Amino acid sequence: MSTFIWLHEEALRATHPLFLPPANPEQSVFIWDDAYMDAMEYGLKRRVFLYETLLDLPVEIYAGDTLETLKKLAEATRASHIRTAATPNPRLGQIMDALSSTLTVERVADEAFVNLPEQDNLRRFFKYWNKAKRLAFQPNGGR
Amino acid sequence: MENQPKTFANRDALISHVRAISPSLAPDDSHVSDTVGGREAGVGLLEKIDPIAYGRSRNYLGGAVSYLSPYIRHGILSLNEVRNFALELGPKDGDIKPIEKFIQELAWRDFWQRVYQQNPSWIWNDVEDYKTGFAPEDYSDTLPEDVSTAQTDCAAINYFITTLQTTGYLHNHARMYLAAYIVHWRRVKWQAGARFFLAHLLDGDPASNNLSFQWVASTFSNKPYFFNLENLQKFSHPQAPCEEADNLALAGSYDDLAARLFPNGVSS
Ligand SMILES: Cc1cc2nc3c(=O)[nH]c(=O)nc-3n(C[C@H](O)[C@H](O)[C@H](O)COP(=O)(O)OP(=O)(O)OC[C@H]3O[C@@H](n4cnc5c(N)ncnc54)[C@H](O)[C@@H]3O)c2cc1C
Repeated sequence: MSTFIWLHEEALRATHPLFLPPANPEQSVFIWDDAYMDAMEYGLKRRVFLYETLLDLPVEIYAGDTLETLKKLAEATRASHIRTAATPNPRLGQIMDALSSTLTVERVADEAFVNLPEQDNLRRFFKYWNKAKRLAFQPNGGR
Repeated sequence: MENQPKTFANRDALISHVRAISPSLAPDDSHVSDTVGGREAGVGLLEKIDPIAYGRSRNYLGGAVSYLSPYIRHGILSLNEVRNFALELGPKDGDIKPIEKFIQELAWRDFWQRVYQQNPSWIWNDVEDYKTGFAPEDYSDTLPEDVSTAQTDCAAINYFITTLQTTGYLHNHARMYLAAYIVHWRRVKWQAGARFFLAHLLDGDPASNNLSFQWVASTFSNKPYFFNLENLQKFSHPQAPCEEADNLALAGSYDDLAARLFPNGVSS
């Protein structure tokens, strides 16, 4: 059974930890999902910017509904495992949750800006900044 | 399933293809930005940042801002690598003061993303009450047509709208002015303004955009943000048309404007 990478719009670089070992994907894909982009309010400018970004990335681009297309690809490649980038975006999160019913979905976090655990009840910036400041001025955020 | 092409004869061919696979786009959505996507373009801009000059000039439309936002927004550059690069450009004695502002602004993005992760429902819902003396139902649900067509009676505002629509970018200060104009001068729900920005900004981000709109509106801050023409002139000259005669609705002292915009009084 194989693994493939689903690259989405929040993580468009080949140096994202998603692509680091032990990832050895048979396939990496980006799904061009018109309805998703419409729901995200993306106009022509943004879509051109995104497509241009995809040109140099090690991914194949498929057009279609994201969930349906990923399921079909998983079936066609007999994949059991999808690696993708973790994101706060709930629309993408829902797709990942739906995939988890039949596949193992691994959500890989990006390099952190600051090595700071989640704080409860974040509301105002300075509550965060008081803790983050020391780390923010260290290379790799204090990692 | 068919693979989409990754080579095109030229940019126009790529644009036609994007249109062809984007049936939901409105037929009159025709602007493309000169800002080009891709890692190479992002790294090219990163190599040009000047975080020290940024600290001194970032509030001015012509200031040394980085233009990195669309690349950071889509993970083309990580916040971590941008910060690491900025640290290298700071004073060699380890004094962080000259680059503090730049790094703090990067941190704003990290902060908004953390808030988004914790409370995804805040992206489209009022986090708190308006503190403007008005209730949500006092605000219009839709953007007035003179705003979407850049035909308002304020020349500077029209300039910001046109810039947004043609380039997909606005300076931070211009975003604050335009957002405040939409919400407070035109009494339009921040959601309608946020949607308009998301449709045009290349960096449009649910968290940074919508939570900043809520900060301007006062549904995610202690008071509404507004400005007067004098402030706009200070930071937007000579880029925006700032003559008083062309921007009468923005002119006045802060007290006069507060009385006009918030006749019921501002609460906290
Ligand atoms: C009403 C309103 C809407 C906004 N919408 C967005 C948006 O959709 N997407 C977005 O990325 N930013 C948004 N911002 C924040 C800010 O205006 C932009 O990030 C900034 O102007 C982008 O230009 P730059 O890359 O030249 O920024 P620089 O000033 O050079 O800053 C460097 C980077 O730091 C980050 N950053 C800087 N300021 C902020 C900030 N206040 N909040 C969050 N991140 C920041 C961005 O990633 C930016 O690229 C909004 C601000 C307001 C007031």
